[in-house]
Amino acid sequence: MSYADFRLTDLEETLPAPFQRFVWFVFEWIPLLIAAGFWEFASGTFVPSAILPPPSEVAYVTWELLATGDVISHLQISLYRVGVGLALSISIGVLLGVGMARSDPVEDFFEVFLALIYPIPKAALVPLAILWLGVGTETAILIVFLACLLPIVLNSYNAAQNVDQNLIWSAQMMGMPSWKIPLKVVIPATIPSILTGIRQAIPIAFIALVSAELIASNEGVGFEILRYSEVGAYTQMFAVLVIISAAAFFAVRGYEWLERKVVRWT
Amino acid sequence: MDVSNKLAVDRSDAINVGKSIYSLVIVLVLWEIVTQLGMVHYYFLPPLSDIIVRFYEMTLDGTLVHHGYLTVRRALVGLVIACVFGILVGVLSARNRVASWFWDPIIEVGYPVPVIALVPVFLFWFGTGDLAKIILVAIGCFWPVAINVRNATRDVDENLIWSARMMGTSDRQLLRKVIVPASAPGIISGIQIALPISLIITFVFEMVAGGGGLGHIEIQGVRSFDSVQVYATLIAIMILGFILDRALRLIRFRILSWT
Repeated sequence: MSYADFRLTDLEETLPAPFQRFVWFVFEWIPLLIAAGFWEFASGTFVPSAILPPPSEVAYVTWELLATGDVISHLQISLYRVGVGLALSISIGVLLGVGMARSDPVEDFFEVFLALIYPIPKAALVPLAILWLGVGTETAILIVFLACLLPIVLNSYNAAQNVDQNLIWSAQMMGMPSWKIPLKVVIPATIPSILTGIRQAIPIAFIALVSAELIASNEGVGFEILRYSEVGAYTQMFAVLVIISAAAFFAVRGYEWLERKVVRWT
Repeated sequence: MDVSNKLAVDRSDAINVGKSIYSLVIVLVLWEIVTQLGMVHYYFLPPLSDIIVRFYEMTLDGTLVHHGYLTVRRALVGLVIACVFGILVGVLSARNRVASWFWDPIIEVGYPVPVIALVPVFLFWFGTGDLAKIILVAIGCFWPVAINVRNATRDVDENLIWSARMMGTSDRQLLRKVIVPASAPGIISGIQIALPISLIITFVFEMVAGGGGLGHIEIQGVRSFDSVQVYATLIAIMILGFILDRALRLIRFRILSWT
């Protein structure tokens, strides 16, 4: 039912393969051009271009910001925050998830806290983080960490609980000491779900990052967006938005690519 | 561990209840002792009793109720608008080739945009009132709803459709009687993903722009160095999030009782 049926069959027979792929690519992305064209047309006619800058100008300013390097340092700070927050939530979340699935005391201890954090939208914790850590990198890392923790814990918990019991029995039968079993059997068997959890967490991490930086930061991409809009430089603001969206997009894509490369046994 | 099912009252076994909340009790008692002894600065961690008293006061004088109402109204109206458009676009692009050709790349590109970053510009376009918040919530929630609806509708078992067609179902009926019910679980999952996003956008908007709401009084607590207010508001936010999450689960359970 998708546009796979749409293939221009005649072209397929007559044209060389790379060119075909190019035509196909262009055809696939025409709607975006239409949307951008409409936007280009609307800004300046329906809405003043000072309020809604046309995409061509945004694209130019994006290039300019990247070329002059104005935004690079902020982007680095933001990516650092996302990276550290994600790394923390992966390491703690996997430990917690696997631990809770395999051991009842651990589950009894931590479950109630997770149940309490679960219904809070994590952005609402930013003021609390400001109280404890002030305005800056630590606050953003804490929010990213908290926002990503639950999907990772839930995924690794469910997977660790559903590990094939035969695997564990075989390992035991072959004389593996019981302390080694979580490390050698349970975690490898849960890795596919953990990776899914991480993929779910990446877009969440970027939302958490931007909300933390909008409210409590003096640097970083979210702060740049706020600063540009406060001085009325909307073209620059949209350009920064394009950059952070591209970063989020390529983070997910790059992660999926890496996952396919690294996880070969599934 | 169904984290979210934990607070339900279907655990009759008192021992199990004790087991599952003993850690919370320990931490809360420790919190009270440590703060009463003055081991932590009052600003970072006020005593639990103070927070509960403040929460009680703020509920009684209607502050929390009023601001909670503002927040819920913005989040839910935005969410409903997003659901209407998201379901429409999702179903269309799963069932219609032209719509699929048009919407697929747009959804693909629009989904990863952190819409929350548009808060400052919406503030400028639409002011600090409800309108700006509702529109931004609608835009932010549109993408997850649309993507989930599209995937769910696309994966409807072709056999169902063929059987219905064979028995003479018209196109319109097919949509209403077969496709939408068959993809309902996916549609509701999309709404469940969008619910926290709607709350996040509302809170962040309220924190940055003001205009009332729980997010606004929470950040106000930070600005006036009144940490008790921050904690009390957080309790209200927790309760609010819990109620909304529960309500959506209940709806899901009601609608999908046949699965």
